[in-house]
Amino acid sequence: MAELTADITATPKKRPRLKVNESVFAWLLIAPAMIFIGVIVAWPLVETVRLSFTNANLGGEEWVGLENYRELADSRRFHQTIGRTFTWMFFSVCLKLVLGLIGATLLNAKVPGKALFRVLVMPPWVIPIAIGMIGWLWLYNGHFGILSGTAMRLGIIDGPFEFLAYKNSAYWSTVVADVWVGVPMVTLFFLAAMQGVPTDLYEAAYVDGASRWYRFRRITIPQIFPVIVSMMLLSAIFTFNSFEIIWILTEGGPRSATTTLIIDTYKTAIGNFKFGEGAARAVVIVILLSLFSLTYLFILNRLNKRFGSK
Amino acid sequence: MKARTLALAAALLGSSALSAGAQELHFIMCGGEVREADQAVVDAFIAENDGVTVNLEAVPWGTCQDKSLTLAAAGDPPSVAYMGSRTLRQLANNDLIVPAEISAESESAYQPGILNTVTIEGTKWGYPRAFSTKALYINCDLAEEAGVSCEAPATWDDMYAMASAINDNTEAAGVGLAGKDFDNTMHQFLNYLYSNGGVVIDTATGENKLDSDQTREALEFYGKLVSVAQDGPTAWERDQLKDLFNDGKIGMYIQGPWGRGQHNEDINQLVVPVPAGPSGDSGTILITDSIAVFKGSGHEELAHELAQMLTTGESQYALDTEWGLTPIFQYEKLGFENPYYVDDPFWEVFTGGIAAGGPEPLVEDFKSLQSVFTNMVQGIILEDDSVENLVTIAGEELDDAL
Repeated sequence: MAELTADITATPKKRPRLKVNESVFAWLLIAPAMIFIGVIVAWPLVETVRLSFTNANLGGEEWVGLENYRELADSRRFHQTIGRTFTWMFFSVCLKLVLGLIGATLLNAKVPGKALFRVLVMPPWVIPIAIGMIGWLWLYNGHFGILSGTAMRLGIIDGPFEFLAYKNSAYWSTVVADVWVGVPMVTLFFLAAMQGVPTDLYEAAYVDGASRWYRFRRITIPQIFPVIVSMMLLSAIFTFNSFEIIWILTEGGPRSATTTLIIDTYKTAIGNFKFGEGAARAVVIVILLSLFSLTYLFILNRLNKRFGSK
Repeated sequence: MKARTLALAAALLGSSALSAGAQELHFIMCGGEVREADQAVVDAFIAENDGVTVNLEAVPWGTCQDKSLTLAAAGDPPSVAYMGSRTLRQLANNDLIVPAEISAESESAYQPGILNTVTIEGTKWGYPRAFSTKALYINCDLAEEAGVSCEAPATWDDMYAMASAINDNTEAAGVGLAGKDFDNTMHQFLNYLYSNGGVVIDTATGENKLDSDQTREALEFYGKLVSVAQDGPTAWERDQLKDLFNDGKIGMYIQGPWGRGQHNEDINQLVVPVPAGPSGDSGTILITDSIAVFKGSGHEELAHELAQMLTTGESQYALDTEWGLTPIFQYEKLGFENPYYVDDPFWEVFTGGIAAGGPEPLVEDFKSLQSVFTNMVQGIILEDDSVENLVTIAGEELDDAL
């Protein structure tokens, strides 16, 4: 017992402090994250860039220098694909923003059951894209689909119409399906931003006799503008990378009418086993997306300076 | 304690010895389903080989061949794969598969032309497993409703006249056409090309023969059929057309012999050879799917054994009858009495075209070959360009692909 008491009351020995250089300690802390990023991001990226300078295929690879890039620069078809990708993205993003803004405004209104409506807007975003697109495949089917069937019953068309069989209709059909998937996210972000707008601004404007449209134009839009810009750029990046939607609906056809850069890259690298040429296309995509990201960061920075930290 | 430790060590050693003897064959089965005839052979193979298991993976056609090739290229090849024979040249040229070891007895019993579909510069690279020829299925109820007698159209003009009558006088489209970005769009077109005396690649010289008058005539006829076909052929592949046929929405379409088993029993159907074009006789494409043994799996010998078991006369007969395929063997030569196709008018249509049929072209870059044909066919369906230009461009693109 006496021994035990002595132990408890004894002054604890001071453990020698391990002296670690502050910067080494910092590196140690971030090392796991850096290794992780290095393995899953940097290494594949470097490998893709390396492959893009080879003619890698099923049989092996040889260094070809800039040959793949030269071919892309000279290829009219590739230029058309870039153009098509940007127009497809432009229409899709514009529609998402407009519909998202309308949806958010309606969901922000003081109407009974708005919580239910907010839930109902989610499914296109929540449902796995592949499943959603199989649904759209049926909708677009001319002989068995509801769209063509309804149009026939209403007398708009006099026979089945295959939405995915013609170049223009296939192009717009994929845009519509992409918008269907993307609108809920945009709507919810806009809705969250609208709910952050101080109500006293609306009250003051109301007292001054401002109409609904005027308040929307002069209060809501400027207040949520940074979010609009963010969503525009993020949505553009998501849309640019959209693969499953087009692949499931049309596989890029007919006659390349819906072939975007991502589809073209997949077909080249995985479909035709031309890994080197596919890698060159992937590098072009990385460059274009990097430009998007830089633009995004630049604009966001400017907006933060102008509107504070909102 | 010592005894327990020794017993444990012995058990561990024993289990590791067992696992060293255990081997698993990875068998990729293109088509998305495992047929009873295949499963029966695999079960028998496992029973015969102690410690050997077979991981049988059924993958849909759309992605299957890409999967097998990519796995092989990545150094993790399947042991065996059942896939289209058109992939063999690419696999062989890239040293990803090993030659097949087909017995002399089997070789002599195959239908004419079958071994050509797996032979490259004298070496057989696959075990032929499934064979098909094609014919025209006609819905006689629709023909009669349209006021035409349901007789085999002998020429393209006769076929067009019948399709046109059905299209104009019934609710159905005259003919079902395939034009989707899919391999059987090429196959469907080749049925017309071979029925017009056309050639894609000269098998003797390897020369590109696509840019020809026969191709122009075939493409022009395909374009003409669009006016009496279902809406939007570029959204349809051949096997989807059976749904339209079953629903009475198309009057006729070209399909393999398995079509009979897929069509509704209440349809009064007539099965006839593909009508002849102006420059040729009735023809059909000859397509085989094969079993390829991959290099580097570590158990090629076992894989050969499995492939050989799957392609014996008995196994093939079971598959051909279960699936409803054109007979891959001349089963009489293997001692079969009264095989299913003998004295059967239905099978005469499919076996009659074998001798004069044209092969599926064997090129290394088969995806590019497919693109050449789908571009050309979709071009005429969508009226993007003239027949003259489309065939000229296709000829040039095929040169690039060869």
